[in-house]
Amino acid sequence: MALIEVQDLVKRFDGKEVLKGVNVLLSEGQSKVVMGASGCGKSTLLKCLNLLVAPTSGRIIFKGEDITRPGVDIHRLRQDIGFVFQHFALYTHLTVEENITLGLRKIRKMKTAAAREKAAFELERVGMFEHRKKYPAHLSGGQKQRAAIVRALAMDPAVLFLDEPTSALDPQMSREVVTVINKLYLDNITMFCVTHDPFLAKYISDSIVFMHEGVIVAEDIAERLFYEHDDPRIRQFYLSVIDHR
Amino acid sequence: MTFWNILLILVKGAGYTVLVTLASIGAGLAVGLLLAVLSLVRWKTVRLLLAAYTYVFRSIPVLVLLFIVFFGLPGMGIRIPPFFSMVLCLGLVSGAYLAEIFRGAMAAVSRDEITAAEAMGMKRVQIFLYVIWPQMFRMAVPGMTNEFTSILKYTPFAYTVGIPEIMKEAMSLAALTLRGLEIYLAVGILYYLIYKVFVVSFETLEKRFRIPGLAGE
Repeated sequence: MALIEVQDLVKRFDGKEVLKGVNVLLSEGQSKVVMGASGCGKSTLLKCLNLLVAPTSGRIIFKGEDITRPGVDIHRLRQDIGFVFQHFALYTHLTVEENITLGLRKIRKMKTAAAREKAAFELERVGMFEHRKKYPAHLSGGQKQRAAIVRALAMDPAVLFLDEPTSALDPQMSREVVTVINKLYLDNITMFCVTHDPFLAKYISDSIVFMHEGVIVAEDIAERLFYEHDDPRIRQFYLSVIDHR
Repeated sequence: MTFWNILLILVKGAGYTVLVTLASIGAGLAVGLLLAVLSLVRWKTVRLLLAAYTYVFRSIPVLVLLFIVFFGLPGMGIRIPPFFSMVLCLGLVSGAYLAEIFRGAMAAVSRDEITAAEAMGMKRVQIFLYVIWPQMFRMAVPGMTNEFTSILKYTPFAYTVGIPEIMKEAMSLAALTLRGLEIYLAVGILYYLIYKVFVVSFETLEKRFRIPGLAGE
């Protein structure tokens, strides 16, 4: 069953069309990755899906409901979508544990003890339990991103959005994070991820969507898209990121 | 009159000074916070009014404002008691400065963190209470301390409207005993002690709430 269905999505910023009629389908339990060069519109697409950016036209059906129609409860919608950011966006003034329990207590209305228990369980899953009392400033980039993933997951979202989750990390830390996301993938967590990283894309995706200048050019599994596709834009992109790594 | 008697009267006056200072800090915080929160409103009219308020109250000397309120308003039938006149004036002026301190601190809160809170499904009030306010408050403490000590130093104006604070008592005592040097030196020392207590209290507060990675760490 489709969890998210995007139909003819268009987004314009000051007259510039960033998304030019995008159509995507994400099923429950599926993990989809969006790739493409910088400025191709992939991050905008992700932000449109939870209405952090308002689409100009088109429809987004989430759990059978058109979320682009006026009067939609934007807060309730977002509570159902976990979001992991490129630069972690952990709350600086809170410890790792407090970062996770804040949403549980204030949005999910859980009791503090129950929220802490939930946080401890989720932190254990990603090997971050011993860091729970630390502030973000005392964590490495990889640890920050793992904490950010736990913060999103603890809310039990229907889908997890990841916006360039490894782009701000060095190769060692990036591997830490890929391992964690791969574990989520193997647990059949529904994910929609935007990345430049073919290594990440390969290990966490059921299929990869390739975007170019606001348009979806191709969608396929990693092996076929990277090694067999003959579209020069895909070849050029793949070679450039491999070369960069 | 012994110096001990003089000192007791001055200490009593210092009590009024502290009272005026604390009440004015409270008023200033209320005004400053209200203005800072209103600055989040995107309506142009609100923004213009806020800018006008800040501009006007930062440019009018406290003493002039106090005279307008205490001696001027009765002409319009509005009588405000001396203590409240002083607190109102200091609250309005320091509120304009504190609003700027809060606005700066608010702007220093990471946009990414606010977006993360939005993405989590928090409402605007929740974002302010749980993400912006705790960080903004901590970042504003040094500026606030500075402003609060300014309030303390403006309190001698209270003698002009008859509040028996430390300066009023000192002037009466100096006229009565002709021991001006000792009396005003004692006043200076008392002000220093009050100032020191304020600063140490705020430094303790700042250390208590200091967060690794935030400004000032």
